[in-house]
Amino acid sequence: MARILICDDAIFMRTMIADILTTAGHSIAGEAESGLQAVERYKAIKPDLVTMDIVMPDMGGIDAVRAIIAIDPDAKILMCSAMGQQALVVEAIQAGAKDFVVKPFQATRVVDAVARVIAG
Amino acid sequence: MTDARRARYVALFAAESRTLLGGARRAMQEWLDAPERQGPAEEVFRVLHTVKGMAASLGFDETAELTHATETQLGEVRAGTQVADRPWLRRLEEAVDAITAACERAVAMEAGAPGEWVAATQEPHGPRYVRVDLDRLDGLLGDLGGLVTARQELDRHAAMDSLSPLARAAQGVERRLDQLRDRILDVRLAPLSEVFERLPPMVRDLARHLGKEVVIEVSGEEIEVDRTILEQLIEPLIHLLRNAVDHAIETPDLRQAAGKRASGKIAVRARRDGDSVVLDVSDDGKGIDRERIAEVARERGLLEAGATLGDDGLLAILSHAGFTTAASVTDVSGRGVGLDAVVARLHGVGASLALTTVLGHGTSFSIRLPTRIGIVRAMVTAIGVERYVLPLTHITELVAWEPGTTREEGGRSVLDVRGEVVPVVDLRRLLGYRGPAAPVRRPAIVIEANGQRVALLADAVLGHVDAVVQPLERPRGIPRWVTGAAVLDDGLPALMLDLASVV
Repeated sequence: MARILICDDAIFMRTMIADILTTAGHSIAGEAESGLQAVERYKAIKPDLVTMDIVMPDMGGIDAVRAIIAIDPDAKILMCSAMGQQALVVEAIQAGAKDFVVKPFQATRVVDAVARVIAG
Repeated sequence: MTDARRARYVALFAAESRTLLGGARRAMQEWLDAPERQGPAEEVFRVLHTVKGMAASLGFDETAELTHATETQLGEVRAGTQVADRPWLRRLEEAVDAITAACERAVAMEAGAPGEWVAATQEPHGPRYVRVDLDRLDGLLGDLGGLVTARQELDRHAAMDSLSPLARAAQGVERRLDQLRDRILDVRLAPLSEVFERLPPMVRDLARHLGKEVVIEVSGEEIEVDRTILEQLIEPLIHLLRNAVDHAIETPDLRQAAGKRASGKIAVRARRDGDSVVLDVSDDGKGIDRERIAEVARERGLLEAGATLGDDGLLAILSHAGFTTAASVTDVSGRGVGLDAVVARLHGVGASLALTTVLGHGTSFSIRLPTRIGIVRAMVTAIGVERYVLPLTHITELVAWEPGTTREEGGRSVLDVRGEVVPVVDLRRLLGYRGPAAPVRRPAIVIEANGQRVALLADAVLGHVDAVVQPLERPRGIPRWVTGAAVLDDGLPALMLDLASVV
């Protein structure tokens, strides 16, 4: 099962994603609450997969994707977007993110998406 | 999602949305101060976006939709298709208030929904919550009072032989009792945000109604105080804010003529100070005309001719019951109606009020409150056959008094205490006691408050207690220097005096 880094500025969202992923048997390698932290934690932890929120303080999710891909072109990043952010999701995919899920999360969709991205 | 897990998410949502929306309100103030700035827009957008995501995840549809609509409007400003002028910002501010209210409603409905409070056995992790009627907690506090009283009895027996098994057992009881007291008092804590979040909408409503521009700033809402104290704060705060908007903040044209910003500023700030919390309610309005107040006070014999009014004296005059109701004074004071009620209510929970004002520049009221109600170390005194309890915090020393030791100086009785002249107040006279005559030799209890010392004459000092103080519902006729009732070790109640207001 995968070691996952969760990036979201809301504790609420991080808790919810962590619950979904641990229930599916994954382990949480770390959490980050800003884009900057996400990049730092990625370097330190080298997780199997990153879940990335788009709107965060101190560097948004898309810039964080660019920074992480620059460090590790094989990084597996799953974007977490809200409704109405299609344009941003496209931008994130172009920046190197592998897939996306839309809030509010449905556990099965998140677990499926993680499995797809890990399988590469 | 299991019920227990959902309850945890709702609790997280409640806490996080409060913090985030508090941040959004602060950002709105900055934005209103400087509409051309971009930073606050990003901050408010981020908050709305996060709150929307959380609300949607919990199925709080009303909140999610309201937030989404507001986020969309804000998006137009960020995209440059809408200009963020003042009227637009005001509407946005109202929308943020409405979202805050919607979040609270959603959380409250969730809490009130039957079947949501789940057996504690289901989920062993994370915080779990139980809703408790405040009356039950009050009952618990009453029981604790009984225990504290029983302990004092035990301590008296244990003190006869400090090495006895009884004394050791008594020490164990004491330690655990202190722990139990702290835990019970902790359960009663609630964040100031529960009161604070009601203030900005109220102030803005009133300002609009009166044709004034007011920016309100709130901080320190995460600080926790006892729920009883919190409840007693609502009226005084609303009162002070109404007065500030109505009387202190000038109309925009008057403000500009005085070289001030068109919009007035009111701030409610809370901060910790040792065991207390200090709430400052300040405005940048016209200030209080102390010369005019002093004039009226002299006319009414409340102030000696030639005496001047400092801030403390000014507050004393303004909160003098008969004084503040006069319309002529209310007009010039820019303050007034019912300040006596504010002071009385605050004293009822052991809080005090102070005032600073500068004519033309503004006024600041400072409320100092205990974070917890409950146990006060106090001295028990006798006046005739009655007993009164005095909190030890203000007592500096005890001296023996006989009729010859008092002398008259400047129209008042004074006493020399270690070379210092201290005014004497006879508690018999203060309390209107009309029983048997006083003994010849009496203890003078020297107290210090607000930088002043006073010697209080009692009939006797009976000892010390750890008193559990219950705030009093205030029937008419109870003087303002009575703060509450304490239960003594014989199980009978005694009134507690507020020494600060005696001074």
